[in-house]
Amino acid sequence: MRLLVVEDDPVLLRSLAATFREENYAVDTASDGEDGFYKAKENAYDAIILDVMLPGLDGWQVLSKLRQTSHTPVLMLTARDTIPDRIKGLDHGADDYLTKPFDTDELLARIRALIRRAVRQTNPVIEIGPLNINTTARRVALDKEEIQLTAREYALLEYLALHRGEVVSRTTLYDHLFAEDDNTFSNLLDVHVSNLRRKLGHDIISTRRGHGYCIE
Amino acid sequence: MIFPLHSIRWRIQAWHGLILFFAIGAFCLTAHRLAWDNQLRQVDNELERTMGRNLFRLLSRERKDSANADPPPTSPAEFFARLRAGKIKITDEVAAIFHGTETGYAYFRIDDTISKETLLSSDNFPKEFNWTLPENNPALSEPIEAFRIREQCREFAHASPNGINVFVGRDISAEMESLNRYAWSIALCGIGVWALGLLGGWWLAGRAIRPVQKISTTAARIADGNLSERIDLDGTENELDQLSRILNSTFERLHNAFERQRQFTADASHELRTPVTILLSETQRALKRERTPEEYRAIIETCNGTAQRMRHLIEALLLLARQETEDTGAHSESCDLAQILDDVQRHLVPIATDRNIQLHAELKNAAMKGNPTAISILATNLLANAITHHHPNDKEKNIYISTGSDDDGTFFTIRDDGPGIPEQDLPHIFERFYRADKARTGNSGHTGLGLAIAKVIADNHGADISVQSLPGKGSVFSVHFRKKLI
Repeated sequence: MRLLVVEDDPVLLRSLAATFREENYAVDTASDGEDGFYKAKENAYDAIILDVMLPGLDGWQVLSKLRQTSHTPVLMLTARDTIPDRIKGLDHGADDYLTKPFDTDELLARIRALIRRAVRQTNPVIEIGPLNINTTARRVALDKEEIQLTAREYALLEYLALHRGEVVSRTTLYDHLFAEDDNTFSNLLDVHVSNLRRKLGHDIISTRRGHGYCIE
Repeated sequence: MIFPLHSIRWRIQAWHGLILFFAIGAFCLTAHRLAWDNQLRQVDNELERTMGRNLFRLLSRERKDSANADPPPTSPAEFFARLRAGKIKITDEVAAIFHGTETGYAYFRIDDTISKETLLSSDNFPKEFNWTLPENNPALSEPIEAFRIREQCREFAHASPNGINVFVGRDISAEMESLNRYAWSIALCGIGVWALGLLGGWWLAGRAIRPVQKISTTAARIADGNLSERIDLDGTENELDQLSRILNSTFERLHNAFERQRQFTADASHELRTPVTILLSETQRALKRERTPEEYRAIIETCNGTAQRMRHLIEALLLLARQETEDTGAHSESCDLAQILDDVQRHLVPIATDRNIQLHAELKNAAMKGNPTAISILATNLLANAITHHHPNDKEKNIYISTGSDDDGTFFTIRDDGPGIPEQDLPHIFERFYRADKARTGNSGHTGLGLAIAKVIADNHGADISVQSLPGKGSVFSVHFRKKLI
């Protein structure tokens, strides 16, 4: 899962990015509205964390410009906590709203919920045959037996499971699993897929030649 | 409506009613009195001229008609002599006038004061008649005449110098009756006018009070928290309009002060939210898993920096709050701007040198009265502002500090050749938490309050603080302390 964090306070930006990275998200950052809008438009993110008070374009402007083309879930962060502010945030097309200061766990839970909602998967536990993926605890069990996966393997599996039945292209997978500053080689994806197949069984991920991967 | 006695309208009405009551009462009484006097004058005329004279005429005419009559008296003296002799009797003609006791009846009696006898009296002359006239003075040529009211009769007494007293009376119950009716009608009219006056007064008092009620309802709405509410002015410039104007400007000032306070609290809590968020985010991240000492160290350093930032902010807020309530007069003492500025620049030289900035001071003595601690904060804030807004990686930069005095008072200026301030930001730079560059500068201790504090201190000293800036060329801040007129 790939996130964009737009926040003008450099310390908070660093801290949020570190928090999300430790939760195995691919994270891009932007410290002003214009940069944030540009990145949000150019890249495919699973969710955007957007601060309201930004130099240049403020959060509202970024949101309304973004909403003309994109449906990426947006969580607004703001220091204003009056009811009209919250209503304004939601009415401007924000999917969720969090007032500073907040608890990290709550922020993480809201981001998970946003990502699930965006793919119409409301249950945090995904069952595919004998496979059981708990997206909250980030645990995978096959026939009730827990399987140890690396962060990338888990992210790949989760993304495919959330988009179950769809053929997901390699580019899309790259876009959603790696941040812009991740230096990865294209064959890394094949390595992760083959590792997953080794751990979970060969049938779990099918390859569509020239199209991508799919979980039936 | 509140309790009647507390309402101005009711009080006006009560006083108005009372005054109107007395005025109408006095008017009615006067009218009644005049009518009564008029009535009496008519009765008196009748008594005196018609009855008194007629009586003598009729009595003296008597002689003519009788067969064995003496010739009519040729003079009043002869008439009185005959009267004393008992030769004059009441005739039918006289009896026709003076008889009975029906409404309007008349009666008479003629007394001799010398013999103290009644010479002649009508049949109906009242029994309880008691009127002592003053003793007749023969030397007096003029007769004494008097009127009085006894029971329901008007009586007339005529005492001639020769000792004959004539009393004529007439029943005036009819006149009294009619006067009574007149009195009642006047009283009814008076009450009617009074009632109309009361109604008019009530209406007038209501009209006079209406603007006050308007003011009070508006003030009540404002008291309920609707601070943007104002009293409608009718533009008539009358007393109430002026009051409304004064109240409106008071409300305006209160509203602004309240709004500033609210904005300040909102801004302060807003500014504190971000560092608290950082602290929570960093500490919760740290607690999520085991880390290497280096990672812990990094997190603790971030927390420390953030806490420092909060400390700066809180100190600045406290300083601002203290300066706002400061009474400069209490701490005013003689000081020299040159000395204060010299101390300030000495303190800031290390920071300036770190950023590759040269401080040039040209300090001329400028003695003034003020609070040296506050002025030192003011100068520090302006100088620190000039230093921090230089881009640190620029080539060597300069800041020029100067002090001096002129006819108006003393001044100091701080001029830099930094990036300058964009024109659209100039009007706002002294506002709290206003940041020309918008971006927060993290842990630099830059709170967005420095210039606001400088402004408050300058205001406290009655000093002008002004800024000129050319983007790309630099800015000049100057503070001018005016000489106090003593």
